[in-house]
Amino acid sequence: MMLETTSKEFDLGNLLQDLPTQIEKLKEARKLVLTDAVLLGEVPSPTFNEEDRIRLTVDRFRENGMEDPEIDEQGNASAVLPGSEGRSSILVMAHADSVFDATTQHVLNVGPDSITGPGIADNAIGLATVVALPKLLKILGITLKDDLILLANTKSLGRGNLEGARYFLDTKQRPISAGICVEGASQGRLSYAGLGTLRGEIRLEVPSNYDWNRFGSSGAVGHLTRIINQLLEIPLPKEPKTKMVLGGLTCGTTYNKTPHRGCLRFEITSEADEVIAELQQKVNDLCEQCSLENGTTVKLEVVATRPNCGIPFTHPLVKATRSIMDEIGITPQVIPSTGDLNVLIEAGYAGVTLGLTHAENIGEENETIQLAPLQAGIAQLVTLLQAIDKGICES
Amino acid sequence: MTGDNQKWLENNTFHHGEFWDILDLVKEKEKKDLKISLCIPTLNEEKTIGKEVLILRSELMERYPLIDEFAVIDSGSNDKTLEVAESYGADTYLASEILPEVGDKRGKGENLWKAIHQLKGDIICYVDADISNIHPRFVYGLVAPLIKQAEVQYVKAFYDRPLNYSSGLRSSGGGRVTEILIRPLFSLFYPELTNIIQPLSGEYAARREVLEMIPFPIGYGVETSHLLDLYEKFGLNAFAQTDLDRRVHRNQTTNALGKMSFGILQTFINRLHSQGKIDRVPDVETFYRRFEVEDGSYNQLVQEVVEEERPPMIEIDGYRKRTGNS
Repeated sequence: MMLETTSKEFDLGNLLQDLPTQIEKLKEARKLVLTDAVLLGEVPSPTFNEEDRIRLTVDRFRENGMEDPEIDEQGNASAVLPGSEGRSSILVMAHADSVFDATTQHVLNVGPDSITGPGIADNAIGLATVVALPKLLKILGITLKDDLILLANTKSLGRGNLEGARYFLDTKQRPISAGICVEGASQGRLSYAGLGTLRGEIRLEVPSNYDWNRFGSSGAVGHLTRIINQLLEIPLPKEPKTKMVLGGLTCGTTYNKTPHRGCLRFEITSEADEVIAELQQKVNDLCEQCSLENGTTVKLEVVATRPNCGIPFTHPLVKATRSIMDEIGITPQVIPSTGDLNVLIEAGYAGVTLGLTHAENIGEENETIQLAPLQAGIAQLVTLLQAIDKGICES
Repeated sequence: MTGDNQKWLENNTFHHGEFWDILDLVKEKEKKDLKISLCIPTLNEEKTIGKEVLILRSELMERYPLIDEFAVIDSGSNDKTLEVAESYGADTYLASEILPEVGDKRGKGENLWKAIHQLKGDIICYVDADISNIHPRFVYGLVAPLIKQAEVQYVKAFYDRPLNYSSGLRSSGGGRVTEILIRPLFSLFYPELTNIIQPLSGEYAARREVLEMIPFPIGYGVETSHLLDLYEKFGLNAFAQTDLDRRVHRNQTTNALGKMSFGILQTFINRLHSQGKIDRVPDVETFYRRFEVEDGSYNQLVQEVVEEERPPMIEIDGYRKRTGNS
């Protein structure tokens, strides 16, 4: 046992030694990734409508030498790069959807030090890196023993509720030793646990035969304001850590018309699933109370849920990731995931989420990634892939 | 519309999708021992040049070796155009330093003309620097007809710039200057050239042998003069055109378009003189030609527009009687 640990540490040490050379080689090779980031990023890919970007992804898989790229029933694109031994598989995945709808002008501007445009950080650059991996491995002279499965998963964000990744893992045909989720931002991100999450929409409707003379009568804005105030008064525990975000409000169209309907979007995250269930019940009660007291229709729709899950901080995969980051000079920021990693870990696999570079204005049309940190960000991914391949990350 | 025109449209009008297999183009290019140069003329284009160089170089030189040479030829930018282009791997030149013995004139046409001297390709492809949605199709769509068809000498781009849609039918329009100035002028003097859907598009590819035979206006008239001069020498069959779908670019102000039209008119009138057409002005055509697209096929619509005139009212008997001037 002692001997095995030593040998793993020795292997990891060797990989870490190669990092500076890798980063140097990736300085030129990153242009491959940037090109794909622009070409993929300029194809609109809103959640549930990722077909066009997925089609281009499959073309790229094929052009980059991947075997049998395919699109499954949920629209996920995947392909396999066979390893020299193929005893197991390593999954590297990036979500292909974006928060921007098709009406947004998907034009990316390439500057000398940065790229700006909708969805470049979340997640065109992540997807492009996954797509380019076979070429990058070739340039770096790396042959993996395990098969490498690349996945561009759909229906990840918002109402998508990670459906694409979930379907892929439910129906996958190959054994997976570990998985890496790739996000554009931010470099240093280290997620090894999925945070319990509930995303919901409170939909309020004032009926057409509403009695405007009754006590407390109000339009949708007034009722929603009252609901918001009551939500903010719900006590949240400090332990286990719990958070409620009121993320979006749509109501009314003009200045002088009382609106009849409105929608409030919110997210509850907590380290304890039972706290989430309790809070969900409170929100539900609040909706019912508002409906009955005011003669309105208020409904809570839960659009996405994730249970708490994770691998320990001391898991060899997490330890190896930290060592790689440390060698590059990246300070790890432990962030629990509410994204694809949850599905991976829920399905019983060890996995982490990594960020490739630094970004600003995420979720806005002037979303920007910095180019200088990118080669180090890609090098951490490649080295972690090698570490998994060498069995260093097995618990 | 005449049968010849329809035949030309069918045989010489392409969609970039027909040439998606870039590897096949590379093989054919190599078989025919052709070298292809790409030239981007620039003046203060630091915002868009990086992306053009990144995408075109990475896709068409590194992934598929369709382009043998990639040059940015600059008119003396005072922003970081050359620095950015170089950082993404383009060869960069100042137009003023190419053929210094002939002097330096400032304008896009100057850069295009000097590219013939500087670049070595048998085919030269020109792409403007202000395309925001640059894609490899902007190059392979233009060079492909030259690789595949020996009789084609010059390939123009056209784009999806719909002016209106109704019942599945849309006008296939050019920019404002094309529709208001060029199409009426071509309808009058060069009806066959109205088959070129976007005569002013800034993206085109041509064989060195034809580029070296024609003069280059240094300013706005360069695209128009190419069409008129090559049409005069080789006829319509030397041309082809490729639909490159959508092009996103800066919108020009009406003032800028006025200036552009003035430059184009000078070139046009010069050609009318040199080709002996100016004397035929009274006999000009009365058919106005434009395009519409239906189910992917391009049809030329010919409409007779006769500008009849009334004499001065003072010459009309009835008028003179009424006003007591008889």
